[in-house]
Formats: sequence, C-alpha cells, structure tokens
Amino acid sequence: MVSERSSDVDDTKHSSTAENPDASQPHKGIGVSPGIAIGPAYLYARVSFDVEERSVDPEEIQLETARFEKAVQKAERDLHKIIDVTREKLGEDSATIFEAQLLMLRDETVYPEVVRYIENHGINAGYAVQSVMGKHRQLMEASDNEYLRERSNDLLDIQDRIIRHLRRGHILSAVEKETIIIAENLTAADVILFSRRGILGCATDYGGPTSHVSIMARALGLPAVVSMHGITNIIRTGDIVVLDGIKGELVVNPDEDTLAAYRQKQERYARLVQEDKQLVGLPAETLDGHPVQLQANLELQEELELMKENGAKGVGLFRTEMLLLMQGRAIVTEEEQTLLYQKVVESVKPYETTFRILDLGGDKLLPMGHREHNPFLGWRGIRIMLEKKELLVPQLRAILRASSTGPTRILLPMITTIREVRRFKEILEETKAGLRSEGVSFDEDIPVGAMVEVPSVALQADAFAREVDFFSIGTNDLTQYTLAVDRGNDLVADIYDELHPAVLQLIRKTTDAAKMAGIPVSLCGELATNLRAVPVLLGLGVTSLSASPVYLPAIKRVIRAMKMTEGEALADKALALVDAQDFRDSMDKWLEEHACGVSFFLEGAAG
Amino acid sequence: MVEKEVTVTNRAGLHTRPASMIVRTASQFKAEFYIHKDGYEINGKSIIGVMTLAAEQGATLMLICDGPDENDAIEALSKIFADGFGEVV
Repeated sequence: MVSERSSDVDDTKHSSTAENPDASQPHKGIGVSPGIAIGPAYLYARVSFDVEERSVDPEEIQLETARFEKAVQKAERDLHKIIDVTREKLGEDSATIFEAQLLMLRDETVYPEVVRYIENHGINAGYAVQSVMGKHRQLMEASDNEYLRERSNDLLDIQDRIIRHLRRGHILSAVEKETIIIAENLTAADVILFSRRGILGCATDYGGPTSHVSIMARALGLPAVVSMHGITNIIRTGDIVVLDGIKGELVVNPDEDTLAAYRQKQERYARLVQEDKQLVGLPAETLDGHPVQLQANLELQEELELMKENGAKGVGLFRTEMLLLMQGRAIVTEEEQTLLYQKVVESVKPYETTFRILDLGGDKLLPMGHREHNPFLGWRGIRIMLEKKELLVPQLRAILRASSTGPTRILLPMITTIREVRRFKEILEETKAGLRSEGVSFDEDIPVGAMVEVPSVALQADAFAREVDFFSIGTNDLTQYTLAVDRGNDLVADIYDELHPAVLQLIRKTTDAAKMAGIPVSLCGELATNLRAVPVLLGLGVTSLSASPVYLPAIKRVIRAMKMTEGEALADKALALVDAQDFRDSMDKWLEEHACGVSFFLEGAAG
Repeated sequence: MVEKEVTVTNRAGLHTRPASMIVRTASQFKAEFYIHKDGYEINGKSIIGVMTLAAEQGATLMLICDGPDENDAIEALSKIFADGFGEVV
C-alpha cells in the first residue's frame, strides 16, 4: 500500500507526505459533522469504469438488450430511493435533479440508440452505454453554455449507474461496511446510499459547512470532514485512517500510539454525547448566573427535530437560500414560502425564528448567467435583493404572514451602509401597508436585524444600532473582509483566523454599541462552534450564540463551566494582544482547566 | 401536423427543471413532438435533446406536434412556455 502510494502522488503540495507516509501528521479540512471514525479507507472515484469492448453472438443479442433493460430498471429503483430520502431530508427542490436523471434513464433519444448500438454492432451492453452516452456527453461538454456543460455530469451519473448494475457486483457492494469514504466530492444521494451500507464517515476534497453533503452527514450523524484539498491524491483504498469530524482532521496509517489515543478520544466523545442528553433540559447559564441564549442555525424544516433534541431556544439563523432550486433560478412562490415559514414558526414557538433574507452571490447561487471577477466584493446579499423587488417582496410578505403564527424576526445579509437598511425599511413598510389593506394579519413590530459581516458595519455600529432591532455577527465573512483573505485559497488560507485581535476588536465595537442602544447581539458564524472561543465571545458581550444543532450541547457545557467575570477578563486580555497565537494558547489553557469534559475538542489525540 | 413559435421567457432558460416539465408534458400525448431552433431539430420527448438546445432567455423556438392529439399537445406545451415554467421571468 505504502510504496504504491508515493508513486501515485503527483501533486507537489503533498509529496512531502508521501515521502514520510508513516508520519501521523493530520491533514486539515473543515469538520462539518462531529464524531470520530477509525477504519479502512475506501476511495470513491466516480470515473472508474472503462468498459471493455466485447462482441456478442447474434443469438445472444436479445439477451444483451434485456440485460440493458434490467440495469435501467435497477437504476430506476436506486433513483426512486434517492428521491424519497432527498425529499424527506432536503426538501422537494433538491430532488429535482434526480427526477431529471430518472427521465434521462429512459430518454427517447438515448435509450433506443443504445439498443440499436447493441444490435448493429453485436456488442456488449456496457460498451454500448458508454459509447452512446459518451457521445451525448461530449456534445454537451462542447457547448458554449456553461450550465449545459455542468449538466453533462448528470449524464455521467446515469451512465455510471447503469454500468454498475450491468456489472452486477456494482460499486456500492465494494463499499464495505465500516469503511471511511474518501472522495473528491459527494452528493447528498451518495451519502444516503453509503450510510445505508453502514459506512463510518466521509472526507472530501471540496465542499463547505452548508454543502448538501455536510447537512446530510449531520442529519444522519455521520462524522464528516470537507474541503480537504487533494486528500484523494494521498489516500488509497485500504489505508487505515482516523477521521476526526470534531477538529476537521484526518490521519493516514497512524502509528499504534496515535491510534490508541484516538480510540480513547472516540470513547470519550461517545460518553460525552450520552451525557449531553442530560444537559438538554438544563439552562445555558454561567456559574455566576448569566443566562446565554443558545439558538440553532437551520437550512431545512427537516432539521427542526434535531434542533429540539439538542435543546435550542429558537432559531438564530434560518438560511432561506435552500428554498431556491439547486439548479436554475426558479422562484419559490409567496404561497410556498408562507407555508414553510409558518410551519417553522409554529414548531419553534414560544421561541423566536430569525429568517435571513435570501443571501445570494458570493460563493452562493449566483443569478443565472451572472459572473463576476470578484464575487465576494460584488453583487450579493441585500445588494441584490434591494434591486430585485420581485424576489424581495414575496419573501417579505411570506415572512410577515408567518409572523402572526409566533415570534419572528427578519435578518438582512451583507449590509454595508445605513442607506441599505433605510431602503429596506421603506420596502418593508410598503409591504406591510399592502397586507394591511388586504386585511392580512402580521406582527406590526416585527424586529429587523443586520448581519455584521462587513467591517464598515462594526465600525459604524453606533449608527446602525439606532436603525435596527438586533445584530447578528457573521464571523466567516467578517474575518475574510477584515483580513482580506479568501479562506478557500490554499495559498493564503493560513492567514484566515477568526480569533485575530482585529476581528475581536470589531466584535467588541459591535457589542458596545448594542449595549448602549439596548439591543441583543447574536453570533451565528462557525466561530460559535469553536469551543475555545465561547468564553471570550461572551466576555466581549455577545448575548446569543447560534450554531448547527449538533454543536449546541458542547457549547452549553462550556457556558455552564465558566463565570462571566472570567470571560470578561479573557476578552480584555485578547483585545490588548497584537498576535492571535498567544491568546489562543491562554484560552486553551482556561478550557482545559475549567471545562475538562470538552477540552479534548481542542487536543489532538496524541496530545 | 401543427406548429407554433414560442419564446423562452424565464430568466434561467431551459435548464433541468423546465426541460423535465416539457418532456413530462409531451409524454402525456400520443403526438410526436419536435423542437426546432436555429436550423437544429430535436425530439422534444428526450430530456437530453431538450437540454442540448441550451435555449436561454429570449430564444425563439418552433414547436411541432404531429399525431392524433396534436392540437391538445401544442396547446399544453405552448402554455408552459408562456407561463415561464412558473419561474422568474
């Protein structure tokens, strides 16, 4: 295994690892679903089937076309299963792509063409599928239309699915129980099928915390690490790997000590999860009696259950982007949105639900055909919505209508200037007036909050605090914009640091202004799931933390182990520092001493 | 045989969902269904065919139905185009 590996590695960035394959040096990524998995790796490569050409005797041609039909039937069954689970876990919109694949299986052009190919060439079904679909794929890939080029992947999916079934011993049966899947990228469908085969976890080259693979992994309780850039170049099927979904790390072929340490960590984590169940009913309150609001970040109504199980007191961030079709720019009607929002509010009350206005652009769904050189500094968030009233008004009407069901708040993404807030409020008032004249009831005093993710808002927080009812700090973007670093860019990713003193100072500016104005400040970025940051964030004056539901019990554990006075002291210390690393060390030390149950969240297993 | 000229009105053009809608609608009828675009003809009951058109907003297409229920078919099909597939126009 080991000797094979070094010859395969062509990516210079990783060659050092290949030369020292036994170094238990962890590979870094983003942990998106907590838990520890230890087991053999299974490298899942999508383009792994090159079917050999084999001639078929004339009398067996019918048998061959029948094999093709049978494989199509099995692929149909697979897809129906995938559509069902996708619908249940991710909602109707996400299932569209698989419904289209279902149509492709029996496409009026392609299906008969494959049959004719088998008959005319006297050739095996697999080769016919590959040739015919390959031809159509090439046509799509040659198109000027970027969307069509991307869709050729769907055809490849179909081709793979059929060929898998033609081969009987199809690829999924090779995915043995208790393996860890390593892939460039996975779809929600892959995760569903794999989890049914009892895999232990998955790691991918690409993806982020809100990718479908991540949401699905969390919903299924499967440890997962994404954004591991090039991990598929390093790992080979059969390598023993340790996947740490808590720290977002992966160790290949660990030595015995490392392995033993991780097994211990795995046990402790399992124990902790058990204990966390008892924490659900207890208040999130510091030792010196300061209550903290713990809320959930949600994308899908299907996550509501998970939110309750983990004891969230409301929804601090409901991302509405998932409402849009995963492909194209299909609008969701006011009616559909109202139904969904009402369902969520009804389920979350008596606690509040915070709906974030569609946050398009940046790295998220761009309006069709719209490309920018610098999307993160471009047309995104509220900048789009203020210009696209046909998107904004139906969403506002839907949120307002839902607000008569229970406590509801509106959150504005990517706010940069006061003008944007004022313009939004004008549109909101017009929308309210419309509903009023129609006799529709809604919350007249629905709170409106601004995301603090552009430094200008933190710097002018005093002015903004007079205009809005609450702040919600988005640490991911705030860090990117403050430090001018794209964390997806490997060359500069190490500059990205959410605990950089400059970022913390902006948070403090925000909380100070909020305190003066008497409005709450929530923090809904990934930083909330970084346990070492919890005491300092509270010390800085953040009043509410919002995170993916599975992370809430651990956050609560830290809160219940700290005093607010300690958090305040840490915050003062942090603000006085110029370099982040010193501070990180002191926070880790505090966490080790005080919240021992969770300190291992910070420590490598070997430490 | 009946023909009708239609325009793609939705912003996103004929991507996966509209293509599925067209194929599903066409498949409810016995009539054969073809789409002409820029001297190119595809089988309108083939989703891959429809997607290959790569028709964007503003594109003009000729719908052709041929069969016993061709009038109903062309009416149903031109209606979903006119509605912009229920999407942003």
